[in-house]
Formats: sequence, structure tokens, C-alpha cells
Amino acid sequence: MLTYSNVNVNYGGLPVLRDISFKVEEGECVAILGHNGAGKTTLLKCSVGDVEGATGAVSYRGEPVVRGAVFMNSRRGIGLVPQGHNVFRQLTVRQNLGVAGLNSPGGALDDVYRLFPVLEQRGSQIAGSLSGGQQQILALGMSLMTKPSILLLDEPSTGLAPVIVNDVMDSLRQINNSGTTVVIVEQNIPATLKLASRAIVLKAGRTVFDGASRELARKEDLWTWF
Amino acid sequence: MEYILTIMVLIAIFVILASSYNLVIGYGGLATVAHPIFYALGAYTSALLGIHFGLPAVVCVLAGAIVAIVASVLLALSALRVAGDYLLIASLGFQLGLLQVIKNFEFTGGPGGISAIPNTITGPWRTPVYLLICGSIAALTVWLIARIVHGPYGRAITAMRDEELAFSALGRNAMTIKVVVFAIGCGIAGIAGGLYAFYFQYVSPEQFEVLHSAAMLTMVVLGGMGTTMGPVVGAVMLIAIPQAITFLNLPPAVMAPMQGIIFTTLVMLFLFLRPAGLVGGLSKDRMAGRTATEKSSAGAAE
Repeated sequence: MLTYSNVNVNYGGLPVLRDISFKVEEGECVAILGHNGAGKTTLLKCSVGDVEGATGAVSYRGEPVVRGAVFMNSRRGIGLVPQGHNVFRQLTVRQNLGVAGLNSPGGALDDVYRLFPVLEQRGSQIAGSLSGGQQQILALGMSLMTKPSILLLDEPSTGLAPVIVNDVMDSLRQINNSGTTVVIVEQNIPATLKLASRAIVLKAGRTVFDGASRELARKEDLWTWF
Repeated sequence: MEYILTIMVLIAIFVILASSYNLVIGYGGLATVAHPIFYALGAYTSALLGIHFGLPAVVCVLAGAIVAIVASVLLALSALRVAGDYLLIASLGFQLGLLQVIKNFEFTGGPGGISAIPNTITGPWRTPVYLLICGSIAALTVWLIARIVHGPYGRAITAMRDEELAFSALGRNAMTIKVVVFAIGCGIAGIAGGLYAFYFQYVSPEQFEVLHSAAMLTMVVLGGMGTTMGPVVGAVMLIAIPQAITFLNLPPAVMAPMQGIIFTTLVMLFLFLRPAGLVGGLSKDRMAGRTATEKSSAGAAE
């Protein structure tokens, strides 16, 4: 579904991604793990063509990802929930979902409300006044409004209380079970390994592990990987 | 009386300019200093068409707006791919470069500008009629911008300005929205230029220098950036108050510096006392109240 072939990225001469190659299959839930600066966010941005100067190839369903046009890749079915700034804080919850759904005739609002009833309850609330967890749920809901086939998430648990992290992970599990492929970049290793069936570990821009999450979780020296 | 009406015409023209600049910089988040050049393109196009082809003023003003729109799209397509400081620099280059062209071409009158622009309305009611026209267009501009920014398209503009990557990740084309916002704002500035040319019957390059964007920006900031009524309040204050002291009959050597001091004092006062601007401050207060109410109701729900 999503294929990386020999992807390299340099920022100002400093290598960030080195010769990354892997495939994400339809329906998978893949965790991209690694320490700060390992290249996780850059890898995710390559999937939507948002990295200048990337070499190698990233393709989605056999077609190259369009570089420099995030919106075109989104319209092809690649959903991205960026880290942190992923809701429009001045708009209400309903307006956020409206902005997200304008390109999807028919919309997915009923599905989003069914999955996240809190968004319907808080429809008229300004997004900036929602709690961190609710903002993350809203960001997920907004991305689902575009009816993505694959959903890429950049550290959705950042800044959230553990109990809220569980809620977010449960939501992602439901999304994945409904047939949407999920790729999640995270630093919360235990929670992510419970969610994802496959894990890829990056270290200094290189892939140092690509295998089953269970296998990674069993490793006695797990924390030395990060 | 004639003097007061002329000042009111000028206020109406600056309401149009400041409101259109606010659409570009306040709502669209596009940092540009090239607004005076689109004002100039409107003024010069209207003046030249009026003088050489004798076209009706309405046609000339609309043609001025179209020229401003075309020029803004050309700038936007090249410069809006970049953002922030780079856009600022590109717009500065565009402003300075095009004004040099205007200063150096014979058909634009060179540094001396163009005079004898046809007088389309004559008689004792000339100024009141112009005031009615400019005031109506200013009101129409404010209404149009309010319609744009408070509708679905306005929400998309706000979303694009605040979180561009998140916006693009939802399948929305940020570039198209930027170009459209820029073109609308610059087209409106072109209309203001046409109105200026036909009322004052004289245009010269110095009226469109880059420093005028600082005056427009000050109007926007003092009134409240990103608010519909902010630029209106800003334009009224920054034109009317410095002009009011002319009634004190001070000697010219005192008058001009005094107007500058009043302008600067107003800017300093607002920066310290109301940094969100007069109308912006009121909106923020309302927003704070609304948010507090929502938070308390959210807390009660939990």
C-alpha cells in the first residue's frame, strides 16, 4: 500500500533518514519508534510529500507520492494527523469538522460522531478550549472526515494523561479494525506496542528493527534500542 | 466644509485600503508590504484610461482593479510558495521595483506623476457625491470582507493561516486560498486607487511609497488585526485625529511635526494599552468570556 524505497533525507548536510526501505500492507497497524531526532516525523512527512530534497521513492498504491503537494496526497487517501498543532483553535468543533469535510461529498460526519460522541456533544465549543485529549480526538475525527485509506499519526499521545492515552489508542484500534491502515509514530513504547502488530525502530535515521511488535516487546534489552 | 468632506473622502478610501490589507495580512496571514503598489496600479490605470481613452470612470476603476488583480496573481504565484520573511522580502522587491518602473516611464508621468485626470463629476455637489460614492464602496468593502471571513470560506482561510500543514493534510489546497485572498485584497486596493485618482485628479509615485504600507498596517493594528471593524476604526482615528489639529490655526512649521507626534503617540499608546487593537481587544474580551463559560459548562458535564 505504502512503499518506501531507499529514502534518504538530509537537513543542511546532516543525514536524517538513511536508505529507508519498507512496505506497509493494507489493513496493517505499524508503529514507527525511536528516540528524539531519529527521523520519525521526517519519515511520516515523506509519506505526504512534505519534505524537500528527499531522495529515493515513496509510493502509494503503486503511484509515486506527489512532492510538495500534501493536499493532493490527502485526496488520494493518505490521511495525516500532525503532531501538536492539528486542530484550528479559533474555530468550533463543528467548524473544524466542516473545514475537514468540504472535499468529501456526502461526508463522514455520522461515522465520526458514532466513533467519537464527544465531538457531537461539544459541537459548538471553541476547539482551543478543549482538553488535550479532546483536541487529539478532534484531530482524529477531522482526518477521518477525509475518508482516508491509510492514517498517519505523529505522536498522538504527546502531553496526554495515561488514561486519555488509553482512550486515544482504543479509538485508533477501532479505526484500524474498521479497515483503515494505521501508521503511528510514537515515543510511548508500551502503549504503542499493545496497539500495533508491527514495529519499525529508527536509530539515527536508519532502520534497526522491523518486525512483529510482540517480538520487540519481548526483548530484554528493549530500552537500549531507544 | 469642503475641507471636512475631503477628509471624509480620504477616510473612506483608507477604510477600503486598510480593510483590504487586513484581509490579506490579518485574516490570510500573508506578510506583504506591497499593498501600496496595487493601490498605485489602480490609480495609474484609471488615470491613464480616463485621460487617453476617455472611458467612463466606472470602467476605468474596474480596469484598475483588474490590473491590480493580475499583478497580484503574478506576484502570488511566485512569492506565495514561500512564507514569512521570504514573502515579506519578495513583496518589498515587487513594491520597490514596480514603483521605480512607474517613476521612470514617460507615459506614467515619471517622478512628476499624472495631472489633469478628467473630472467626472462637476458642480457644487462634486465632493458630497464623491463622498457618497466612496463611503458606499467602503461600506460595501467592509460588508463583502465580513461575508467572506465569517462564512465557510473564511473558516478555511483562518484554518489555513493558523495550521497550514494540518489544513493541507485535510486535502485542502492552501496555495489556492492564499492566491485568492491576495487577489481579492489587492483588487480592492486597486479600486481604492481609482477612486483616489478621479477625486484628487492627480497621482504621483510618492503617494504610493512603501512607507504607506506602514500607515495602512498601523490602521489595521490599532483598530484590531483580523477583525472586520478594526481597520475602519483605525483609518478613522489615524486620519481624522491628526487632521483635527489643523483647526487650531497653528503655523505650518508646527503643524506638520505636531501631526507626526500625534500619529506616533497614538501608536505608542495602543501598543502599551491595547496591543490587540481597539476592536480586537473587545473581541478578545468577548472570546475570553465565552471560553470561560464553555470551560465551566464542560467542567460541569464531566
